[in-house]
Amino acid sequence: MAETKKTDKKIAVGAVALAVAAVVMAGLFLLFREKPTEGSKQITITVVNSRKEDTDYTLRTDAKYLRQAMEEADGLTFSGQESEYGMMVETVNGETVDFDRDGSYWAFYVNGEYCSYGIDTQPVEDEDVFRIEYTVSAASE
Amino acid sequence: MGENIERKTDKKRKFPARDIAMIGLMVAVIEVSKLALGFLPNIELTSFWLILFTLLLGWKIAVVIPVMILIEGCMYGFGLWWLMYLYSWPLLVVLAWMFRRQESVWFWAVLSGAFGLCFGALGTAAYFFVGASQGTLSARLSAAFAWWVAGIPWDIVHCIGNFTLMLFLYRPFRSIVERIRRQMAGFPGGHDRQGKQRKDSGS
Repeated sequence: MAETKKTDKKIAVGAVALAVAAVVMAGLFLLFREKPTEGSKQITITVVNSRKEDTDYTLRTDAKYLRQAMEEADGLTFSGQESEYGMMVETVNGETVDFDRDGSYWAFYVNGEYCSYGIDTQPVEDEDVFRIEYTVSAASE
Repeated sequence: MGENIERKTDKKRKFPARDIAMIGLMVAVIEVSKLALGFLPNIELTSFWLILFTLLLGWKIAVVIPVMILIEGCMYGFGLWWLMYLYSWPLLVVLAWMFRRQESVWFWAVLSGAFGLCFGALGTAAYFFVGASQGTLSARLSAAFAWWVAGIPWDIVHCIGNFTLMLFLYRPFRSIVERIRRQMAGFPGGHDRQGKQRKDSGS
C-alpha cells in the first residue's frame, strides 16, 4: 500500500515535471525563435494614374517577384484577372483600365525600362525603381 | 553434419511462422495508424503501439523496429529524419522495456508525452552530427539549436498528443492485445509472455 502511494507520488512528480518542461520549452521558443527581419532589398514603386499624378511607395522587402512586393507596399491596392502568365493587372488604387473600350492598360517599368515579365515573374532587385503607369495605346488614340 | 541439421531445426523453432505473422501484423498496425493520422501533424500512434507491443509481446519488438524503420524509409525517403528514427524509436522501446513492470496508465502517459516533447531534441543530434564536416563547432551548435527551437511548438503538440492518446487508449488496447497474446500462446508452438516456447506445445 505504502509502495503504491510512493509510486503514485513519483508519477505525479513526473507529470508535473513534464508540464514544467513543456512550459520552459514554450518560453525558449518565444525567446529564441527566428523573428521576422526587415527586408534586405529597398525598392520604390511609383503609380502614375490617368491624371498623371504620381504616388510613390518605398519599402524594404525580401520579395523575389514584383507581385509580392506590390502586396507588401502599404497603401497600394491592385487586382486583376489570373491567367496562365500570372495576374493581368486591371485595377490599381481603384482605377480600372479597359483595353477593349479605350485601349487603356497599366504599363509596368523597371528602372525606366519596360518590364519583360508579368508581375508574378518580374524579379525584384535591391534599389529597383518600378513604375506602374496608366497608359492608353497609341493605336486607339 | 548431424549437428548442423540440429542447429537449423532449433533455429526454426525459435522463429516460427506465427511469430513472423505477428511481427508483420504489428508493423502493419503501426503503419496503418500512421497513415490514418497523417493529416494531423505530430499526432501519432507509433509511440503508443511501440510501448504496448514492448510490454505485451516481448522480444518480437526487436524485429518490428528495424522492419518499421526500413518501411518508413522506403515510403517517405531516406532523409535526415530517417537517421533520427534509427535511434529514437529503439530508445523508446528500451525505456518501455526498462519500466515494463509499471502498470499505471499515468506513468505510460507521462513517458509517452516526455518522448514526444524530446522528439525534436533527439532529431537535433542527427542534424548536428550529419553536418559534422561542415562549419565550425559553434556554428553547427547554433544551427542545431535554431532547428530545435523552430520545432518546439510541434514538440509540444507531439507531447500533448502522445500523453492524451496513451491515457485514453492504454487500458482498452492493452486488454485486447493481451487477449490476442493469450490466444496465440494457446496454439501449439505458442510462446509465453517472456517469449519462451511453451513446453506443452509439442513442437
